[in-house]
Amino acid sequence: MDIGFIYDYLIASERLGIWIAALLTLAIYSFLYKDNPIYRFAESLLIGISVGFLLVTTFETTLMPKAFEPLAISFTGIFGSGGFGAFGSFLWLLVPVTLGLLMFTRFVPKYAWMSRVALALYIGFGAGASIPANMQSYILNQIDATIRPFLAIDSFAAAVNAAVILVGLISTLSYFYFSKAHTGIFGKAARLGTFYLMIFFGATFGYTVMARISLLIGRLTFLLRDWLGLIS
Amino acid sequence: MGFWQRARYIDRRIIFLLMLLGVGLPLLTNIGLPVRVTRDVGNVYDYIEGLNPGDVILISYDHDTGTLPEMIPMSDAILRHAFSRNLHLVGMALRAEGTAIGRQNFRRIGAEYGREEGKDFVFLGFRPEITAAILGLGTSIERVFPKDDRDIPISEIELMNTVRNYGDIALVISISDDDTPVYWVNYANARFKAKVVPAVTAVMATTFFPFIDSGQIRGMIAGLKGAAEYEKLIKIPGRAGRGMDAQSIAHMVMIGFIIMGNIAYFMSRKGK
Repeated sequence: MDIGFIYDYLIASERLGIWIAALLTLAIYSFLYKDNPIYRFAESLLIGISVGFLLVTTFETTLMPKAFEPLAISFTGIFGSGGFGAFGSFLWLLVPVTLGLLMFTRFVPKYAWMSRVALALYIGFGAGASIPANMQSYILNQIDATIRPFLAIDSFAAAVNAAVILVGLISTLSYFYFSKAHTGIFGKAARLGTFYLMIFFGATFGYTVMARISLLIGRLTFLLRDWLGLIS
Repeated sequence: MGFWQRARYIDRRIIFLLMLLGVGLPLLTNIGLPVRVTRDVGNVYDYIEGLNPGDVILISYDHDTGTLPEMIPMSDAILRHAFSRNLHLVGMALRAEGTAIGRQNFRRIGAEYGREEGKDFVFLGFRPEITAAILGLGTSIERVFPKDDRDIPISEIELMNTVRNYGDIALVISISDDDTPVYWVNYANARFKAKVVPAVTAVMATTFFPFIDSGQIRGMIAGLKGAAEYEKLIKIPGRAGRGMDAQSIAHMVMIGFIIMGNIAYFMSRKGK
């Protein structure tokens, strides 16, 4: 085949891709004017492609190489030269695959109870793995990080910083303690906690604005550079 | 109806239009506003700068395509820094869409520096079930990823002969648009003492500040701003630096609207 033709084809397909992406971008942004069928089409397309991609990727990169292929190999091995070893491998794979398949029994009300076996194991693993890890990350290490600065104060600024964090921790926790009325000194501490929370929300909102504008910058850069060629 | 009264009920499409101009015009003109490097990004750079050639960094693409404008500049800057320092890179993804993006980025930036796949870098692919995958990597990478993204068995890849688990990895970077780096902190760091750095969207930044003070993460790259700072540190201008002009002007437009909205509110209350 003529190399020039292939090159022209690749360039043309890239341009076509850019045009499709540009028109879909404009379709999504058309929502800013008002809701319309073109926007809804682009939105549905995005959701469909994302879900399709997830399914295909999971099937190709995980289910096939980690479950179905080894299962088929060990199954055929039982009848070949694999013998007892192949049978052991087959069972070793069959148990998790069966448990995974049990999850689909939820679609049949009569047999839905069977999915609880798999769910129980999954929740048990999740809780067992996450409770100690979360305890370490969110509680023990954070308490350590709050107290430790007081043991190594080397300047006035460090002392103020450590105090601000400790006061913030105690006052914010006070706000979320609901077994005592928020009155008196306790109420004042809880009130102070709300100010800390406001600062947190403000910072989060600021970062959110920054993130959303970054997405707009990304799309505009694409439109101005790749589609219209207005910037280098 | 007075000016301030009318300003309270301004058509939102006018605000969108002004925001579009606030972002679009700086992109066309390239103002070149300064970018100041923060401590968190500087710490990441310093840590990577302190690694020896041949040390291994694991980069996980834990994001979808919707946040590419923030993720790609970060990924590009980190990869350029790592490849320029002759570090070895292992890539993977805990989000399906991240697989395609990570694979493409590794090969694109690797080619820029003449790096060879399998010897200098490898992309392992995607694994669902975050907790199981991160915990599994602490025991054996080969058990979690028996083959790489090209379907080559791990045992046949030169780079992976010396990389078995977190013990052989100098740094884990999770490029993410959600709280997946928390899982890396909870399991890879707390359990296996792996050194973790989140490179996250700006939205997620405040989630990770407590982990910086507690030393559970080595630093953080947050959003387009973080990527622009990293580009400045490695002295390779990229798309994040240029985007920061638009970012700054757009913030000014927004601050202007907030001030105007508050004045309009109080002025209209005064008039009642």
